[in-house]
Amino acid sequence: MSFLSPFLLWGVLAASIPIVIHLLNRRRHRTVQWAAMEFLLKATRESRGKKKLKYLIILTCRALAIVALVFAIARPLVGGFLGWSGGKVDTVILVLDRSASMEQQSPGSRESKRASAIASVRKSLSELNSPRLVLIDSASGKAQDVPSPDALEELSSTSATDTKASIPTLISTAIDYVLDHSPGRTEIWVASDLQESDWSPEEGRWAAIRAGLNDLPQKTTLRILSLASAPKDNISIRVLASRRTEDELVLDLELTRTDSDGPAAIPITYSVNGTRSADKVTVNGQTYQFQKRLPLGTREGRGHGFVSLPADTNLRDNVSYFAYGEDSPSKTYLVSEGGEAPEWLELAAAPPGFDRSEATRVSPNSAHDIDWSSATLIIWQAALPDGPVAEEFMRYIESGGAAILLPPLGESDTNFAGLSWGEQSTAPQGQYFIISEWDQADGPLRNGLEGTQIPVPKLKAIKRREILGEATSLALWDDEKPFLVRKVIGDGSAIFIATLPDYTWSNLADADALLPIVQRMIEQGDNRFGSAFAAITGSRKSMAADGETRRRLDTHAKSTSSNAPYEAGVWQLGDRLLATNRPKSEDQWQILTTAKLNSVLEGVPYKLFEDAGESESLAREIWRAFLIAMLVFLITEAILCLQPKLKNTKS
Amino acid sequence: MKYDFLDPEALSRLGAIPLEARQAMTGNVAGRHRSPHRGSSVEFAEYRKYVQGDDTRRLDWKAYARSDRYYIKEFEADTNLRAYFVLDASGSMGFSAADDARIQFARKLAATLSYLIIDQGDAAGLSVCQEKIHVEIPPTRRPAHLNHMFEVLANTEPTGETGLVEALHTIAEKVAQRALVIILSDLFCDTNALGDALQHLRYRKHDVAVFHMLDKQEIAFDFERPHRFVDMEDKTSIVAEPTLVADEYREAMKEFMATVKGKCHDIHADYHLITTDQDYEEIVHDFLTSRLTKKGKA
Repeated sequence: MSFLSPFLLWGVLAASIPIVIHLLNRRRHRTVQWAAMEFLLKATRESRGKKKLKYLIILTCRALAIVALVFAIARPLVGGFLGWSGGKVDTVILVLDRSASMEQQSPGSRESKRASAIASVRKSLSELNSPRLVLIDSASGKAQDVPSPDALEELSSTSATDTKASIPTLISTAIDYVLDHSPGRTEIWVASDLQESDWSPEEGRWAAIRAGLNDLPQKTTLRILSLASAPKDNISIRVLASRRTEDELVLDLELTRTDSDGPAAIPITYSVNGTRSADKVTVNGQTYQFQKRLPLGTREGRGHGFVSLPADTNLRDNVSYFAYGEDSPSKTYLVSEGGEAPEWLELAAAPPGFDRSEATRVSPNSAHDIDWSSATLIIWQAALPDGPVAEEFMRYIESGGAAILLPPLGESDTNFAGLSWGEQSTAPQGQYFIISEWDQADGPLRNGLEGTQIPVPKLKAIKRREILGEATSLALWDDEKPFLVRKVIGDGSAIFIATLPDYTWSNLADADALLPIVQRMIEQGDNRFGSAFAAITGSRKSMAADGETRRRLDTHAKSTSSNAPYEAGVWQLGDRLLATNRPKSEDQWQILTTAKLNSVLEGVPYKLFEDAGESESLAREIWRAFLIAMLVFLITEAILCLQPKLKNTKS
Repeated sequence: MKYDFLDPEALSRLGAIPLEARQAMTGNVAGRHRSPHRGSSVEFAEYRKYVQGDDTRRLDWKAYARSDRYYIKEFEADTNLRAYFVLDASGSMGFSAADDARIQFARKLAATLSYLIIDQGDAAGLSVCQEKIHVEIPPTRRPAHLNHMFEVLANTEPTGETGLVEALHTIAEKVAQRALVIILSDLFCDTNALGDALQHLRYRKHDVAVFHMLDKQEIAFDFERPHRFVDMEDKTSIVAEPTLVADEYREAMKEFMATVKGKCHDIHADYHLITTDQDYEEIVHDFLTSRLTKKGKA
């Protein structure tokens, strides 16, 4: 509970008036000569207990009546959010999470968590005699003065976005604001759904934030308005990748639903260059990935579109946008020391009949001739690169490129991406190295979309090299040494395979594993080109560069110019065609637990208020309750005082 | 009049009602009151057989004629009444809330009754007791004696603790002849000891009349604000909140009055509870008339 006029609480001291009057009365007694003293002494001895208690209750009722009156005049507020330590606030800094997940509807309400938070904050502020309001929204990350709480709902900087939020950054901004502007007694209100990806509890800068909050020169209270309710009845759709193959558009799509009870047929609308089509997808389980091929006909050049779902409890994740460019052949560079292996690798990279695929052999010494920008896949079967070539190779992977690294025939002492080749070993006579287990859900050995397994068990190796370093093992030999590991570097990844498609090493060449591995890596590398047309909403890539103007191309929704950079859609930015979508983390529902919140704010006094969406205001005045309490105290006092008089009259 | 506790008009009005003894008295002169002895009054008492030595003049010859036996006809003797006023003059008798102090009321009663008693030819005496018997005036019939009594009454001021019980025991022992003992007191003493003292008086065949004198405020205890109450006898004091103790006080006072009344009833004493706001003439009137009706019942 807090008070709008806390200075009036000094009036509570008036509660002592009845006690003081009582004590003065006792001191200002008259003296009488009394004859029947014996009876008076007896009566005094006997009157202790019940009557004294009654007298104390009367006195307490009088004192409490005064306290209740003072409390009522001081205009008390309840609602949990403001807690007991309220009082006059000069400035409220509202840190507003505008991330896409905040568009989830509040439980029991049809408005989004963001709208609910804004409405609650607005009402609370008006009940706090409207202190100065500074808004720091998660999309722009900038502090701005808000002239009136009533304007909150109208501001474009409080409207919905498809961005993510970085709460540590926002709180840091709030701290900087307090330091720079000395806004008097300040409260920092953080309205967020406590999505773990937005709070980044593992980030090292929380220590600096904690220190910053504790070292603020002015009294500053941190209050967190939590809207952390798990979503219900929500399905989201996401375009994982889009690419053009000749006359078809291939979309890799992912559906995620919050309720995974039984199969559900989900209608999906596809819009490609303004042409709409629809079908239904039956989903089992929580997440479902599938591929959709849409005919493009004879249309050439670039294009765009979106996929959408019917409305549910979060409208923001019911649509995902895509854009695509010209069809271009996939180019694989094969860096090899020679021998039998490159033959097989080249065949796997550009099999006969795959006109769009071409493979170019390069010797390790001329690796610097590789056109990294046009490469779809780099297959490196040689000693690991070093020097400028290694740096170029690394940059290529970081930008989304794909790479397959195979053991060199000779020695290799170098290290690439934290991995290196170990000792070469040979299987005992008459025995083979075989694969005991592999990841069937992820990586290049994953099952096909229809669940078909890659025949990995058919692989038999005589020779292998150990893979040293930390990486994700996607397949293991039967002695639990890695056969295939993956290292994610930036937007791309590199895989290390422990044997060669060479009959002196293994049957990898004719087993049915090499082709899917290479083709899947090409597909992954291809996405690098598709991703040129895709960006995360709010990222630097999604922003208009100098001289670029922004124009929305899709027909799914309209944007206001001020909020457009933070909204998902298909945009023409100068010459660029860009589909922006919400970050994947916004579809993940890990909520920051109270323990983690305590951990990130350890040593910082803060108040957490969990808004269940039932109350419109975070605080409401309850002076009436105190007036009623005062009346109750006065009536009780009157009843207790009246009783003995009635008795006297009777006697 | 010289004494403010005497009202001649009241005395003249009350003079018409005689004070009767409720039992036989053993006075030393002839009077209007019955005597336990047979005497020469006109009131027939009984017949008894003649025994040797009896005065033959008292033989009832008519009875002898009827029964051929000698009977002596006896008549009741009439004698005078000796009244002892026992005035409690302890400190508590000085209590006064709004009306006269209790001692002044007692003076009025004692003076009026003693005047009436001597006026009808009986004897009146006075004992004033404080911690001990302070003044003792033996009863006489002489009107001049009244002056002495009034002088003592006028000069008696309440002080000290009460010695009423001891005084009553003393009177019971000292007064050999039957007498009317009139006690004027608030009776603020140990009720058991008081009961014993009254029994003692009764045992000595005295007719006992008790004027239990209380103040209206002592019974009602209608204070509203806290007061410091100072004991009028031993000067101890206590600050009390009347609203807290009034009920218990009234209960204790009620119990005290009932106990005293019971003790008086046990010895057939003539008990009168009076409050000092009452009209003393009316009290005396009621006292005299009630004794007329109760005559011989005691």
